[in-house]
Amino acid sequence: MSPSLYVPGDGPLHRLPAGAKLAALAGLGVALFLVSSPIVLGAAALAAAGVVAATGVRLARLRGALAGVAIVVAIVVAANAWLAGWREAAAVGARIVALVLLGYALTLTTRTSDLLATLERLLAPLERIGLADAGKVALAVALVLRFVPELMKQAADIREARAARGLRVGPVALVVPMIVRVLRSADAIAEAIDARAYPPCKSPPTSAIPSSTGPGSADHDNA
Amino acid sequence: MTTRDLVLVALFAALTAVLGLVPPITVGFLPVPITLQSLGPMLAGLMLGPVRGGLALALFVLLVALGMPVLAGGRGGFGILLGPTGGFIVGWIVGAIVVGALAKRFARTGAWRAPDLANAALACVVGGIGAVYAMGVPWLSVVTGMGLGPAAASMVVFLPGDAIKVVVAVMVARGVQRAYPIALR
Repeated sequence: MSPSLYVPGDGPLHRLPAGAKLAALAGLGVALFLVSSPIVLGAAALAAAGVVAATGVRLARLRGALAGVAIVVAIVVAANAWLAGWREAAAVGARIVALVLLGYALTLTTRTSDLLATLERLLAPLERIGLADAGKVALAVALVLRFVPELMKQAADIREARAARGLRVGPVALVVPMIVRVLRSADAIAEAIDARAYPPCKSPPTSAIPSSTGPGSADHDNA
Repeated sequence: MTTRDLVLVALFAALTAVLGLVPPITVGFLPVPITLQSLGPMLAGLMLGPVRGGLALALFVLLVALGMPVLAGGRGGFGILLGPTGGFIVGWIVGAIVVGALAKRFARTGAWRAPDLANAALACVVGGIGAVYAMGVPWLSVVTGMGLGPAAASMVVFLPGDAIKVVVAVMVARGVQRAYPIALR
């Protein structure tokens, strides 16, 4: 699994702070639903395509993602043309294209760590009233990034083991051993995290985010 | 929430991602291969309960929003959440909570005999299908301008696959609980 859809670069969109881009995306998302003219929405879709092109991403990188969107848009436009006429269909299609492309523009130009830092800032008010713990959220994200390749490896092992016995692997026979194997290590991982006193105590707000360090690594030895 | 709870939440978020990455599985009598990703909310709810199950799927959706390619077919990013199918993905959070709440409400004896299996299946149908569609269909309707009726009707094609996933989720939950029981919370 590639770590993220982020594409390195130093265009204007890359330099904008993540928070500003998120706010702009939220605002534009609402605005697109308030407009119903197919001409304005078509212009918005073209502008969004221009924004994505300005990120400097190579088209090949996006092909898989856009193919899925294209199929959904085609179905939706066809259904709308049939039920509500071409005008409505064009407006709806353009709106979806604009929304999805703008979302991709954010994802392509913003590092995951920057988005996480913005999330930590957004969580700060919740943290003050004791509803969330930004350090724990960051730790949970890091853990998922560590677990995904582990589970993929388990899945491959189980498939091979079944194939060696001449068996096909059904979903139950695949998922049960996958979960049980990783659950067995969950206690050890939890103990390892506790032993390192991670996540660190509240006193200085954490700015560094554990990127993809495994739970077993000693990088975060704050004890 | 202990560190172990945090690890379990992360584990089921990762499991949901991996279920979308393993090649789709063909089931004998269905013409299209089904991806197993929507098993995630059912499994998290059945095995972790409403709180941790809901958190696991919330963490998964957060990863989607952050741009990780964790959705089936390596998709991800904010654009997907804004698109026509975004409601189903956000609906997985609600689905996991509902499945977990129902599974906990009808607490099992642990023996996994017929009544327990039926309860677990019912929890998956109400939460994993009902609650997810209750979020996803209105969202689809708003984004695409389709009426609620046609949007709901178009879901019929997915119901056979969903029914199979309910059976798979219950069998997996039974298998895992027998080998490694986790208390619902």
